[in-house]
Amino acid sequence: MFFRKPAQQQQRNRWIPIAIFIGPVMVYYLAFMIYPFFATIYYSFNTITPVQGALTTSFVGLKNYISLFNDKVFLLSVKNTLIWSVVGPALEMTTALTLAFLIYFKVPLHRFYRTAWFTPLLVSGVIVGLVFRWIFNNEWGLLNASLRAVGLEGWALNWLGRRDTPLMVVIFVHYWATFGYSMVLLLAGLSAIPEELLDAAKVDGASLLQTVMRIMIPMLWPTFITVLILSFIGKMRAFHVVWALTGGGPMHFTETVATYVQKRAFGWSTLDLGYPSAMAVLWFGVVMLGVGLINRWLKHRVEY
Amino acid sequence: MISAADFRDVPRLYRLRVRGWLAKVGITLPLMLLTLVVIIPFVWMILMSFRTTAEILNDPFGLPETLRFENYVKLIFDPQIGFGRYFWNSIVVSGGALLVTLILSTLGGYGFGRSRYDFKFRGWVFGILLFALMLPPQIFYIPQFTMMSRFGLLNTYWALILIYAATALPVSTYLMATYFSQLPSELEDAAQIDGCSHLQTFFKVMLPLARPAIMTVTLMNFMSFWNELLLAITLVTDPGMRTIQAAMMMFVGEHGSNYAIAAASLVLSMLPTLILYLAMSDKFIEGLTAGAVKG
Repeated sequence: MFFRKPAQQQQRNRWIPIAIFIGPVMVYYLAFMIYPFFATIYYSFNTITPVQGALTTSFVGLKNYISLFNDKVFLLSVKNTLIWSVVGPALEMTTALTLAFLIYFKVPLHRFYRTAWFTPLLVSGVIVGLVFRWIFNNEWGLLNASLRAVGLEGWALNWLGRRDTPLMVVIFVHYWATFGYSMVLLLAGLSAIPEELLDAAKVDGASLLQTVMRIMIPMLWPTFITVLILSFIGKMRAFHVVWALTGGGPMHFTETVATYVQKRAFGWSTLDLGYPSAMAVLWFGVVMLGVGLINRWLKHRVEY
Repeated sequence: MISAADFRDVPRLYRLRVRGWLAKVGITLPLMLLTLVVIIPFVWMILMSFRTTAEILNDPFGLPETLRFENYVKLIFDPQIGFGRYFWNSIVVSGGALLVTLILSTLGGYGFGRSRYDFKFRGWVFGILLFALMLPPQIFYIPQFTMMSRFGLLNTYWALILIYAATALPVSTYLMATYFSQLPSELEDAAQIDGCSHLQTFFKVMLPLARPAIMTVTLMNFMSFWNELLLAITLVTDPGMRTIQAAMMMFVGEHGSNYAIAAASLVLSMLPTLILYLAMSDKFIEGLTAGAVKG
């Protein structure tokens, strides 16, 4: 304090540690995430093809976006993903909420359940996809073998080889892999509700059902919305499980936007990075819109 | 933010009263059924890995006649399969990406988390960092590919290390910043009075205090790096450089008929996460749920 530096120099010194700490992460992040984000948008207005090893870019305006709406496979993949993003979270949130309450109220064996339901989270999407690809195998899969063993031959469908069932299987398998996650998050939300509140309700003579409906669910609501959004985004971006389970097949019946982007960009030899970029940009908009709608419609429903 | 840290002390005052054996059975039966649906695929996968493909095809749910380890032995020692190579690739990639993530996110988290380093547009800058938090990877990965291609890094460990670390930065920095912001400033002040520079204070005093958060970030990211597939098949196409997840996809293609070997590879590939989980399951659940940030 005795040797106060001139104000300007002090000001400059203040920025040095900030630059040291925040600089690296921001520079890295701008280079490897923000630049690619804008580059994807730029790509989407161009045709980008490799010519003699180097990528050549030519501006095509909105052509990619217009072609999207004439691309039957893309429209099918949008339809599949949208169905999934409604059915999946609905299924997941209802069961996860019920199960979280049951565990919160300590049903017999609740510790065992919590550990068991959490295990699918540990394994990769590839493992989940492959194991269920075998379970649903037509000839020797566990499901059909079991059905035949108990005399239900008629029920033993070619689950992954038909027109109607594969998308249901994909939805189920992803649900199998993720409901435990939503359950654990909701359970954490329930545990964060202050005990005094529940105490007070009990003293006032509230029944269990009243406490759940009037206090716990409203208190849990913000967490519920967060978990719902996470679940929704999870379905919109899911790639691993689908890729390993069906690869989008048969005949694109389980194609999702994520798998189709991958095929158009790197799988098929269509050799154009602009077109899949347009898909990615469009899909980014749809995801943002979905999250916005969930927030808008549900956020203030229960608060009073 | 949702924290799973406190869910071991669930209050007991509203224990669901399950009286009488009928009620007990009524509630236990459906939950047990659900648990079976969750567990059976694992059990079946492990059983498959101890059998031969012929056995599996003949009788899908038979037990292994003898406990044979030949699938595992073949996987590990058969040079034509080269599973060890893929395992090693995954270790290098996950470990490398983790190192980059930890260095950048602890530094950044400290800068963003401590009020002494506040500046005018900090909120905005932090907001930019959190922007990518939950976006679909599709919106980034095509230019990430062309970038790596331009740098000549495709089919090297570097491509995956650099991009994995980038995708992990938002949530990791966020968690580190939250943790650092909760630490008291007395130690920091004392260190500065003793003449430590900003970096010395960080490395000698504050970083050691952040060990729990570092652990969380490590577990969370290790899992997602180890299990990643989309970038792994995009940035690396050379068979020898594949990560374990990409290699397993290849097994089903190439060794398509050999389900027994494939099952054994699935079991082996989940060992690292399984061991970590068994060693510290609570920390692990916390790490996996810490990623659920309000957004």
